Amino acid sequence: MANDKCPEYLEQLNEYLDGELDTGLCAEIDAFVGECTNCRVMVDSLRQTVRLCRDGTEISLPASVTNRLTELLRRRWEAKFGSPPQ
Amino acid sequence: MTETTLIARAQAGDFDAFLELVREHQQSIYALAKRLTGSAEDAEDVLQETLLKAIDKIDTFRAESTFGTWLHAIALNEARRIYSSQQRTDPKPIEEYLPPRLSSGAPPNSGVALFDWGDPAAYVERVELADIIDAALIELAPPYREAFVLRYLEELPVKEVAALIGESEAATKSRILRARLAMRDHIATKLEVSYGKRQVS
Repeated sequence: MANDKCPEYLEQLNEYLDGELDTGLCAEIDAFVGECTNCRVMVDSLRQTVRLCRDGTEISLPASVTNRLTELLRRRWEAKFGSPPQ
Repeated sequence: MTETTLIARAQAGDFDAFLELVREHQQSIYALAKRLTGSAEDAEDVLQETLLKAIDKIDTFRAESTFGTWLHAIALNEARRIYSSQQRTDPKPIEEYLPPRLSSGAPPNSGVALFDWGDPAAYVERVELADIIDAALIELAPPYREAFVLRYLEELPVKEVAALIGESEAATKSRILRARLAMRDHIATKLEVSYGKRQVS
């Protein structure tokens, strides 16, 4: 991000951040990033962006919604396939 | 019972088999919808319409994808119905999110909030962090929000994200990166304010 290699590395940035690059290229970018404080800060904050989103937005489906939906789905199902034999 | 067996039973009219199929995915569809729409009420609506449509179309499911991917594709279309009228500005070009080019001596890119985040949880309350993230997501233009959420919160591979949003893998990768940079920028700007407040107090 601070010299001529920047555009080349930029194409691989997400793979690098997500640990999906082969070890050779990854080590090369590690060395590059290690020499640049701003790049290090940028890389760390981009990784934290995903981590914070994963940690901070836990979403649970309320049980009341599941129960209400099951009844609604059953009615739609019976309208399509008919009621099950008693 | 395998997914294939459950699908066959559901297509023959077995409601319990259908319920077992959707039970595994309804939590993740609700979460996807909540993240994309930013609203619990809309997420409930998206989930409901997705499952009703799945019933209507169950006999057309041909196992060209997994049942989960098929449901997610329906859910994405339902969510789009809700945010199709939202006006958002696309993220800036990638280069504009980058830090100052130190070695070239060029001036810093203006507006890039660049500081060591440390451990944000040590400075910002969990609830406040969640609010910052929700706001950042909902500020993203929908095509970028979809790419980011599907890749990083649904944790789908790029290939699957590309199939769901109907773009090439190369275009999807670029969209995901721009979305991530825009998210980082938004969060950094908010954290800067929160960290500043903490220092003052």
